[in-house]
Amino acid sequence: MARKDLLDIASLHREEIEFLLDQSTSFKKLFTHSVKKIPALEGKSVLMLFYEASTRTHSSFEVAAKRLSAEVTNFDVAHSSITKGESVRETIETLQAMRTDYIVVRHSHPGLPGMIARQTTASVINAGDGAHEHPTQALLDAFTIKEKFPDPRGKKVLIIGDILHSRVARSTSTLLQKLGVEVAYLGPGSLVPKYVPASIPRFTDYEAAMAWAPDVVYLLRVQMERQDVQFFPSVREYHRVYGITTARLAEIRDKGLYIMHPGPVNRGVELCDAVMDYERSLITNQVENGISIRMAVLDWLTPGGEFPRQESYVAQQQVSSKVIMP
Amino acid sequence: MLLLQNARIASENSPVLLEGDVLIVEGKIQEIGSSLALPEGARAIDARGRVLMPAMFDAHVHFRAPGFENKETITTGSEAAINGGITGVVMMPNTRPALDSATAVATVLENAKDRARIPVYTSGCVTKNREGKELAEIEGMRELGVKMLTDDGDTTADPAVLLRAMQYATEFGMFFASHCEVPELAGPRALNEGVMSYRLGIKGSPACAEEIIIDRDIRLARAAGAHVHIQHVSSKLGMETIRWWKSRGDVKVTAEVAPHHLLFTDEHIGDYDTNYKMNPPLRTQADCDALLEGLKEGVFDIIATDHAPHTPFEKAQDFISAPNGITGLDTALVSLYHFFVEPGKLGWDLVVKRYSAEPRRLMGLPVPTIEVGQEVNCVLFDTEAETTFTREFMKSKSQNTPFIDQTLKGRVDLVILGTEILLER
Repeated sequence: MARKDLLDIASLHREEIEFLLDQSTSFKKLFTHSVKKIPALEGKSVLMLFYEASTRTHSSFEVAAKRLSAEVTNFDVAHSSITKGESVRETIETLQAMRTDYIVVRHSHPGLPGMIARQTTASVINAGDGAHEHPTQALLDAFTIKEKFPDPRGKKVLIIGDILHSRVARSTSTLLQKLGVEVAYLGPGSLVPKYVPASIPRFTDYEAAMAWAPDVVYLLRVQMERQDVQFFPSVREYHRVYGITTARLAEIRDKGLYIMHPGPVNRGVELCDAVMDYERSLITNQVENGISIRMAVLDWLTPGGEFPRQESYVAQQQVSSKVIMP
Repeated sequence: MLLLQNARIASENSPVLLEGDVLIVEGKIQEIGSSLALPEGARAIDARGRVLMPAMFDAHVHFRAPGFENKETITTGSEAAINGGITGVVMMPNTRPALDSATAVATVLENAKDRARIPVYTSGCVTKNREGKELAEIEGMRELGVKMLTDDGDTTADPAVLLRAMQYATEFGMFFASHCEVPELAGPRALNEGVMSYRLGIKGSPACAEEIIIDRDIRLARAAGAHVHIQHVSSKLGMETIRWWKSRGDVKVTAEVAPHHLLFTDEHIGDYDTNYKMNPPLRTQADCDALLEGLKEGVFDIIATDHAPHTPFEKAQDFISAPNGITGLDTALVSLYHFFVEPGKLGWDLVVKRYSAEPRRLMGLPVPTIEVGQEVNCVLFDTEAETTFTREFMKSKSQNTPFIDQTLKGRVDLVILGTEILLER
């Protein structure tokens, strides 16, 4: 079953996830060939609509699309009419008129890719919407974990950092749980919302979190740019209390734990320099896997708009409440 | 002359509906009885099965004029009120310019006289331009009949300013209505902090942002000997704070609850539906249940809609960008009936008390009743019919309501004010 859009992890079925991870394995094999390009999306157009700065995700999508032989257009937000006050809605109407097949969108406002998807026949891929979702990041994280643990059920992933502002934490935890992985959060009390799902243990103490015995430690980037207010006193203190310090790296090495990070890394904040050379660091694997996952996603989606609107799981709940019963 | 035959008559004083004929002559109720003879020249309306009650009064509406007439005007707003069985409203002063002077208030009242078929009252600002700094022209507004002072939409941030305003204006018999929110805690997103805010990735507004100001403003009113009215309470602890202060009895405090806070939770926001974006935000089922209890107990003196129209264009943005607020006048009475009266959670007496009588008492206005000798100010409500809230049905200029295209049980059939039939279906 193909879909028009990929907006979130929450609405993906387990079979769809397994399918995408399998497809990603096949695409990854292409990378060893001298010619890495296949004609799967020949004649199709992919529009990159990034309202927020991005290096990895943007270039990863671009490479993925090009390896599938699609045409890629970068919508230059900085030089568009958006700077003249054009609303997103107006922009979408313009883009719709251009009949693009795919729109890869990143925006600081949660839910915005869904809004675009409802207004276009193009397949919309959410490349990160505020603190809501980042589904391809979650897929590449799962893919990276599955490379190390082919059957990840029962494995434990500790996500450390700014959960409050992190779309990665939300998407990746949701996806890992769908695959039977246990997930826990660790971070400052001001950055780990008390309303996280009950299925995710919530730690504010590093020692207690390590006693939970994770297999993977997933460090989130401290997103200084999202913090319009101060959530912790200093990066030095953050590193000491929640970061992977040299001493903690030794302990992690002893236990043989894997380390992941969605990048870009703030060295000396989330982790000490030595982590970058740690043999069980999967950070570069994540980047590499991003391309094959995004190829799998682009190949899987079916533009055209003739498919039923994709509903997130909250929207599915909403169907019953459409006859409003409080 | 009009004879309403076999109507079921509701009053705030009786949980039982009394059946009878009501004869209306020249805008007054001349006779109530069973099987009244139809006088010559009188028109008979078969009201069998339908409920006749005093018309509603909404003490918290935004008519957006002057300044935002693309959202609502005094004419469209008052027609929406009539459509919902409401024959009097109090406008909030967050217009542009804000209603912070006698001149601004006089213009609005003048317009209302010409453009509305119902009495439209207005509140006035506490501070100039609702900025929370300098006191508005309070006495000048009182002279024009303003009773309620509020910087609605924004809490008067500086407690010293509010205290001074209370000390000053109480001398003139005015009272204060408080939109309760610590902005630094609430943030701009209008979503309850909870499971849903985590899921949707939007910074939530914790209920304590409201509770702190409820408590603060009641304490200030107590210190000033003022009357404070707490607007659109959304949280359980907010309700309990008011209950506690009322139980002490040493400060004059009244409070209101909006139908949407009784009906919806943050779960309804679902897939970022901006029709559920409002301030204070929708909270949880436990809050809804507590608010309903508060309404029954009398912690909430009145029901008020906080009718807040916005254009489709504004609401069609993403959740973060869309403005706060939903319309309520067209839908309030029918929704209260559908969700609370019909299932037996509220009696008609309570609806009449909280949405017709007490709001008028709050504003120092005469309270209409269905009694002999009274001026007619009433609604005939069909409990068996249904209302579908299509865009055509709505009289408000904006249709930002979760009820759009919903069908609910109950229908406002007839609205009469004095000698005029304002609405007949």
